[in-house]
Amino acid sequence: MTKMNREQPTFVESRRSFLKGTAYTVAGATLATGVFKAVAETPAEAEETRFTATPKTLSFYPPLEQWDSFKELDGNDWKRGGVGRNGVQNEKNPDGIKVNEFMLVPTVCSNCEAQCGLTAWVEVGEYKRTKNPRDLRVKKYMGNPLHAGSRGRNCAKGYASLSQMYDPDRIPFPLKRAPGSKRGEGKWIRTTWDEAMATIGKKIHDTLKTGDEMSRKLFMYHVGRPNENGFGHRIPHSMGCDGYDSHTNICSAGARQGTLQWANDDRNSPDWANAKLIFLQSSHAADAGHYFQQSAGFIADARRKGAKLVVIDPRMSNSAGMADLWLPIWPGTEAALYLYLANRIVHEKDRNGNDLINHAFVKHWVNWDQLMKDKEQLALMVSKGYISKMPQDDSYESFVELLKELYAPYTKEFVVKECRIEGYEHKLDELFEMFIDAGDKIATFLWRSGTIGHRGGWMNTRAGFLTLALRGALRGDIGGTGMHHWHVVSVNGKGDAATVAGKRPPRVDVWNELAWPPEYPLSSYEMSFLLPHLLLDDEWRKKWNAKGLQVPEKLAVWVPRMYNPVWINPDGFRWIEALKREDKVELSFNLSPTWSETNWFCDYVLPVGLAGERHDQSSEPTKPAKILAFKNPALRVALEKNGWKPKDPTRATLEAHMAAGLGEIWEEVEFWANIMVHHVDPDGSLGVRKFWASKEDPSRAVTIPEWYQAAFDHIPNLREAAKRKYPNSKYPNYEMMRDMGTWLVEDNIYKPQERPLKKVGNKYIAHGHEFDESEVEKDEFGTLLVHDHVFGGKKPIGVEVDGKIVQGWHSLSGKLEFYSKWFAEWKWPEYAVPIYPRNEKERKEMVHLVTQVHHDFMQKENEFALNTIFRLPYNIHTRSVNSKHLMEISQNHNPVWISTADAKRLGIKRGDAIKVTIEDTVSGLESGYFIAMAVPTEGQMPGVLSCSHHAGRWKLKNAVEIPGFKHTLGVMGLGAPLYEMSMDGKVGTLKPKQGLDKGMQERRDSWQFKEFNKDLDNIWWDGLSGSWQNAVAAPHPDPIAGNHAWHQKVRIEKAGPDDQIGDIWVNYENNFKVYQAWRDKLTRPLAPGDKLRRPVHLKRPAVPLTLKAYSVDIKA
Amino acid sequence: MDTQKLKDDTQKRMTLYALTSRLMMKEVDDAFLDAIEKDEAILGMFPHYKTWQKRTELDRRTLTDQYLNVDYANLFLLHLVPYETFYTRDDQMIESGFGNPVSELYDACDFKVELEKARVVSPDHIGVELEFMYMLAQAELNAIEAEDKEGVCELLQIQKGFLHDHLLEWAPMFLINVKRESATPLYHDGAELTLEWLLSDYEYVNETLQAICAELQ
Repeated sequence: MTKMNREQPTFVESRRSFLKGTAYTVAGATLATGVFKAVAETPAEAEETRFTATPKTLSFYPPLEQWDSFKELDGNDWKRGGVGRNGVQNEKNPDGIKVNEFMLVPTVCSNCEAQCGLTAWVEVGEYKRTKNPRDLRVKKYMGNPLHAGSRGRNCAKGYASLSQMYDPDRIPFPLKRAPGSKRGEGKWIRTTWDEAMATIGKKIHDTLKTGDEMSRKLFMYHVGRPNENGFGHRIPHSMGCDGYDSHTNICSAGARQGTLQWANDDRNSPDWANAKLIFLQSSHAADAGHYFQQSAGFIADARRKGAKLVVIDPRMSNSAGMADLWLPIWPGTEAALYLYLANRIVHEKDRNGNDLINHAFVKHWVNWDQLMKDKEQLALMVSKGYISKMPQDDSYESFVELLKELYAPYTKEFVVKECRIEGYEHKLDELFEMFIDAGDKIATFLWRSGTIGHRGGWMNTRAGFLTLALRGALRGDIGGTGMHHWHVVSVNGKGDAATVAGKRPPRVDVWNELAWPPEYPLSSYEMSFLLPHLLLDDEWRKKWNAKGLQVPEKLAVWVPRMYNPVWINPDGFRWIEALKREDKVELSFNLSPTWSETNWFCDYVLPVGLAGERHDQSSEPTKPAKILAFKNPALRVALEKNGWKPKDPTRATLEAHMAAGLGEIWEEVEFWANIMVHHVDPDGSLGVRKFWASKEDPSRAVTIPEWYQAAFDHIPNLREAAKRKYPNSKYPNYEMMRDMGTWLVEDNIYKPQERPLKKVGNKYIAHGHEFDESEVEKDEFGTLLVHDHVFGGKKPIGVEVDGKIVQGWHSLSGKLEFYSKWFAEWKWPEYAVPIYPRNEKERKEMVHLVTQVHHDFMQKENEFALNTIFRLPYNIHTRSVNSKHLMEISQNHNPVWISTADAKRLGIKRGDAIKVTIEDTVSGLESGYFIAMAVPTEGQMPGVLSCSHHAGRWKLKNAVEIPGFKHTLGVMGLGAPLYEMSMDGKVGTLKPKQGLDKGMQERRDSWQFKEFNKDLDNIWWDGLSGSWQNAVAAPHPDPIAGNHAWHQKVRIEKAGPDDQIGDIWVNYENNFKVYQAWRDKLTRPLAPGDKLRRPVHLKRPAVPLTLKAYSVDIKA
Repeated sequence: MDTQKLKDDTQKRMTLYALTSRLMMKEVDDAFLDAIEKDEAILGMFPHYKTWQKRTELDRRTLTDQYLNVDYANLFLLHLVPYETFYTRDDQMIESGFGNPVSELYDACDFKVELEKARVVSPDHIGVELEFMYMLAQAELNAIEAEDKEGVCELLQIQKGFLHDHLLEWAPMFLINVKRESATPLYHDGAELTLEWLLSDYEYVNETLQAICAELQ
C-alpha cells in the first residue's frame, strides 16, 4: 500500500467540481484508447443460441451422453464479440463464430503416478465434413469428471498433454542407429516398426532358444514411471525371464521397506479428506507427487473442515508455506523426531488422566506378544542397551513398560540437538499438541524425501508409523492412514483369457543377480540403479560365480520403457559407459515418445504414445477406494466411432495415428502382442506365443478389445454394469471403459483388516483360494496358517483378534509388526524394532541407520547436506522436456537454495555461480563438482542446501538429419540446451555451448504440427541455469532397503572465472569405488548356509518365481 | 437548455472519461504521461504524483519500466481483478462470453468492443466501461450539436443507467482496492480521481437530467 505523506485538501474539495474548476486543453479523443467500434447493423445470421461461453461453475463438464458430440464455441469467440453479434460460422456466414464439434474421449494423464482422469477433446466436425482423418485434432485436454479421485481436475502437467502431443520435436517414426556408427555418435536412419520387430524379435528368439538358465537372465525390461498396473510385468514373465527392472530404487524403495516390515504392504494410503491432521514429511502430496492434485484436492477439503497441516522439511515448499506448522529439521534425522513423539505418547496422559496410547488398538493389532515371547530378541535388546533388563513377564502391561524404557532417551533435549532445531524448540510442543488433538485422524504419506534420501531412510517409515500405531491412526479408519493394496486394482496384465493359453504364464524358475544381487536379499525393489555398475564389475561377478551363482556378464536385450536412466540415475557417465559397450548390452531399444539422453545411446528409438495415444489400465491409492482408470488413444477412438476401420485390427492404434497424421506412433500392448506372436516365437516352440496369440484367431496377436474385455472381466460389478449398458456388444467391458475411462470398483474402504475372513461352509476363502477348515491351523498368537504350496512351510491367511476371525494385514502375523521377526532372522536383529542411535558412539555402531549427510560429517564452514529430491509441481522427471508450456514455467532452472545466513557468511549473493563438490562419507572419495546458481532464501534451513534433480537437461545435438527424409528432426528443442561432453573412462565433463532459445530460433518453422507451433518464436528461455547434478552423484546403495540414498555431502565455494553454470566435472572412476565401498563395508550378503535368496513372503515385484528360483547354496 | 454550457461540460466529461479509461486500460507510455504532465490542470488531479520525487529524479524509461508499469501489472494483471463480473457474480468468475451483461448493452447501442486492441479478456473491464462512458458522452455531444434534445436526454438517461447499474455497482470496491494496493502515486491518485469522478459525475448527470429533461419524462 502506498503511504502518502500528506493529503491535499484542495484536491478533495474540488472533487465535486471537476467540470467547473478545470480547463482542458487535451481533447478526449487523443487520450482514449479507442477500443469501441461503431457497428452499423447486426448480421442477419445472428441468432439466439444455446452456447454459453462461461459455464455457471468451474467444474462444468458436458453430461456423459453428450460426449460423442458436444458443440462448443471456438476460443476466439470472446475476442470477436460472440455469436450474438457475429452469428455462427457457416457457408452463408463465413465471418461468424466457429463452432467446434467435440468428441470427448476419456483417457488418463501419463505425466505422473497419480493417474488423474483426462478427456481428450477431439474436434470431429471438420472430419465429418471432409472424411479426411488428418482433419482430426485434439484441441484440448481437460479432466474426467467421472474419475472419483481426480474429480475432473488436473494440474499443469495434465493440461500439458496437448503440447506434448503436438511437440515440434516429437519422434515421428522408428529410428535406428545408423549402420557402421557407434552408440552415442548421433547418426540415425529411419526404419519401420516391422523391421524393428523382426530384428529385435529374432535377437530375443535366438537368446531364449538356447533354453538354459542363463538365457532367462539376458532380457531386461527397464521401466520408468509405469503409469499402468501389471502389463509390463507380463512381458518378461511370459518369456520365462527374470528380467524386470523398475525405477523404484531411485524413488521410493526406502519408504516401502519400512512398510514391508510393519505390514508386508507396499506403502501406506491416507484418507486425507477426513483427517484432522495432515502430517507431511516433505512437500509430497500437497504440492508435488505422489498423487499430487488428487491428494492436494482432498487435503484442501480437509483443511476447509478445520484440519491442521504440518510439514517437516528443511526447505520451505509451497505446502510448508501454507502449513499451520513448518518444522525444518536436519535431513535424515526424522526417525529421531518420531521416536520423540513416541516417547511422549507412551509416557503422558491426556487432560482426563487417560493414557495417550490407544491400548484398544495396540493390544489387539500390534504383534507385541511375539516380541515378549522371544527371549533371545529381548536379550539382544538388553545387550545393546535398548532396555536395562528382561521384562518381568510376557504381558501387555510389561510390553508397555518396555516401550517406556525403550523410548525414554528420545527426549526434547536429545531431539533438539539431533534434528538441529535449536532456537525453535517450542515448535516441538506445537507439533505434539496437534498430533494428540487429532486423535486417530492423522493422515500421512511417508514417501520420498527422507525415506529415499538417506542411508537408513527406511527407518523414517518404521518410526513414523509407530507414532500412528500408538494413537490408533494406522487402523485405516476414517480420516486415518491405511495400507495401499486394499485401495488399488490391477488388471492390466490380466487379459490371459483372451489368449490361446487362456491362463497366466507359470512362475519363473531363475533368479537374475543383475536386478537382485546377493548383497541385498531384503532390498524392497530391484537394484536397477546399479545395473551398469554390476555389468561392468568383473571382480564382483567372479566372486559370486565362484560361490556357485551364475551371474550374467551381459544383457542380450535391454529395453528401457519411457525411461531415461542416463539422466535421472546417479552416476550418469557410468550408464553411458555401459550402454556404449556392445559386448555388455548387445541390443537396446527405448519405447519412448520423445528424445532423451538415454535414447542417444540406444540402438532403436521406438515412439510410443502419450496420455491420449495408448491403452493402459491404472489404479492408484489416492483415497480409501478402488478406482480404476483406462487410457484410450483419442484419435483412434474418434476414428473408429465414426466408422473407420484398420486394415489389421491388431495394429489399429498405429494405423489410426498414421492416418490422422500424428506419426508412426504406437503403443506397448499392441506392439508386444505382435512382436511375441510374429517374431519372438513365431512357431510357438518357445512356449511364449500362446500367451499373446488371440483365442479368437490363433493366427494373429490378441486385439485391444479382446484383451481388455478379458482383463476387466476380473471386476464383477464392472462386468455386470457393462453387460446391462451394452447388451449387444461382443466386448461390453472394453466399450464401457472406452466410453467412461474410469470405474469406481469400491468406495469407502475402511479398516479392511477387520473384515471377517470369508467362510463358505467349512472352507475359508483368502486371496482367491479356498482352504478347508481342517487344513488351517492357528498358532499361539492367533494367526491362521495354511500350507504354502509354492514355497513349502506355512503361510498366513487371517488372524483371530478379540475372538473374531478376520482378514488381518498381509504380515506374517496378520498384525502390525512392531517387532519384525523375519527381519531379525535375516541378519538385522538390532534393527528389528523402531530404533535410532542415541549418541555419537551409537551412530558409529548403528551406521546403517545414520544418514550419510549427518551433521557429524559437516566439519568445515562450507560443508553442507545437499537435499536433491524434491519435486517441482510442474515437472515430470524427463517427459516435461517435450512440453512448451511446462518448459516455459520451469526453464530447466534448478538453482541451489541456500539459507541467507549461510550465504552471507560465505559472501554468496543471489545469482552467483557456485561450485558444488560432492564427497562421499563412507569412502572419503570425491565425485567431482557441478556449477550452479545460488539463491539465498529464508526458506532454507541453515547448513542444508536444496537443488531439485528435476532439471539440468542436456543434449549433444540440436537436430539430426535422417538420410532420405527431407526434414531435420529436432532434439528436445523446448527444454534442453546444447552441451559438449567428454569422457575417457575415468573422468567425464559437460559444458554448455548454446541456449535452447538460440537453438530453437534456428529452426523455429516446425515442419510438424505447424499450426500448433506457430509461436515458437516466443521462446525466450535459454535453459542455461540448470546443471546435471545427477551425473556427479555417486551411487549410495542402502545396505538394507537397497535404494539409492540421494542426499550428498557437499562443499561449496564461489565458482572460478572459467566456470560456467551448467559445467560438471565427474570422477566416475571414484564413483565406482564409492558404490563398492557402500556395498562391501555396509551390507550383510548371502553366506554359506543360507538356503534362500530372500524371504519367500516378501514380494518379488513383477515376476513371480518358483521355490527353485529362490533357492541358493552359497559355497564357502 | 444552455447549449454552450452543456457542450463545454460534455467535452470536459469526455476528457475525464478518456483520461481515466486510458489510465486503467493499459500501461502508460510517453504520450500518455506527457498528456498528464504537460497540462497543469490534469497534473493537479494527481497531487502525489505531481510531487513524487522519483518523477523528477529518474528518466522516463526507468520510471515507466521499473515503477509505473510494474505497478500496473501488479494491480491490473496479477493481483486485482478489474472486471465487473468478478465483483457481481457469486462465484467470482469473469463472464467472458456474449452473456456478459455489459456486452449486451454495448450491442444494444450498436457498439462493439475490440478486445484484442484493449488486451482485456472481457468487455466489462474497468477501462472498457469507462471508455464506454466516453463514447456515450461523445454521442451526447453529437446530439447537442444537432440540437436533438430528445437524443440528449435519452443519452443522459443511458449514462445514468450505466453508472447506476454497472460502474457504481462495483468500481468503487475495485478502486478502493487499487488505492490500497498501489505502489506508485500515479495509480494511487488515479484510483482516487476515478472514484471521486464517478460519484461526482453521477450527481451531475442526475442534476442535468432534472434540469433539462424533466419535462420530457
